[in-house]
Amino acid sequence: MAIDPERVERVLAVMVDAAEGNYETRVPLSDVEDEMLEIEVGINFLLDELTHQRARNESHQRALVAALSTPIIVLWPGVLALPLIGHFDRGRAMEVTATLLARVRAERASHVILDLTGLAELAGDTMPALLRMVQAMRLLGARCLLTGMHPRSAQQVVELGIELRGVPTLAQVSDALAQVMSEKGVFKTGT
Amino acid sequence: MPFRFTEKTTESGARYLRVDAEGRVSLDDAKEFQSWVMRPEWHLGLIMSVVGKGTAYDRDARKVFQTLNEHITALATVVTSPIVRAAINMMLRLARSRGTTPLRMFTSEEEALRWLESRRGDVPPRP
Repeated sequence: MAIDPERVERVLAVMVDAAEGNYETRVPLSDVEDEMLEIEVGINFLLDELTHQRARNESHQRALVAALSTPIIVLWPGVLALPLIGHFDRGRAMEVTATLLARVRAERASHVILDLTGLAELAGDTMPALLRMVQAMRLLGARCLLTGMHPRSAQQVVELGIELRGVPTLAQVSDALAQVMSEKGVFKTGT
Repeated sequence: MPFRFTEKTTESGARYLRVDAEGRVSLDDAKEFQSWVMRPEWHLGLIMSVVGKGTAYDRDARKVFQTLNEHITALATVVTSPIVRAAINMMLRLARSRGTTPLRMFTSEEEALRWLESRRGDVPPRP
């Protein structure tokens, strides 16, 4: 079978694209009945499959990242804890707030402990975003407590003139839990 | 809709479902085909599919066709376009892992009908 060099060239170009991660190009087909056409169609089918697999993997990855970035823990019936990790800006605050609000409602939570130990340095919009989150929780009847604030972050809060009125700040999650337990009358602080 | 379904009978009295296909076949179209195949009057029946030039199958649609092997006694596919034939060939290769395929390709309707009639005895009796 004599193969048209131009067709081979077109197939190779599509394969080079695919090797570089571009699965969108397809081998152009012409109505010529030969074995080469079967190969060209087969490559296009393969690329369809790769495109589909990649989209599915990306979707799984997004879901996984979303789940890992909002690891809400039930410490006690009605008491949730959320360790915040990495960079926390307005966009992430909106995602986290939506997930957290749903959990607060589902668990009928009365308290939410937001642990900032894993947060990178506070960006300019981190504290306002956090406070909006706290207000949203309050509207659902849940009280927020902040723990694990770094000394530098505390300094930033002061420098930015942000008021944390009504939002208890404690050193560790265990301190916050003890305070909540005390408020709930489960056990007294310091005992 | 790229499919048109017609109930037919050959000169010798064999009932078959004729499906004319043209254009882009989506997942919904494939599901419609599947629903026809699963109807009690056509399940394990004879089907003749006449596939027009330029017919193309979306990836999700192909997956549905690959599951239909065990529900069809004979599927005679009349196809004149080499591109469409190559696409169906590839779908057949991918479906082979799911059992023997009941599909055969033809270039004329007469040939396809003759083959369907030859398979008439394999159709289970209707209740």
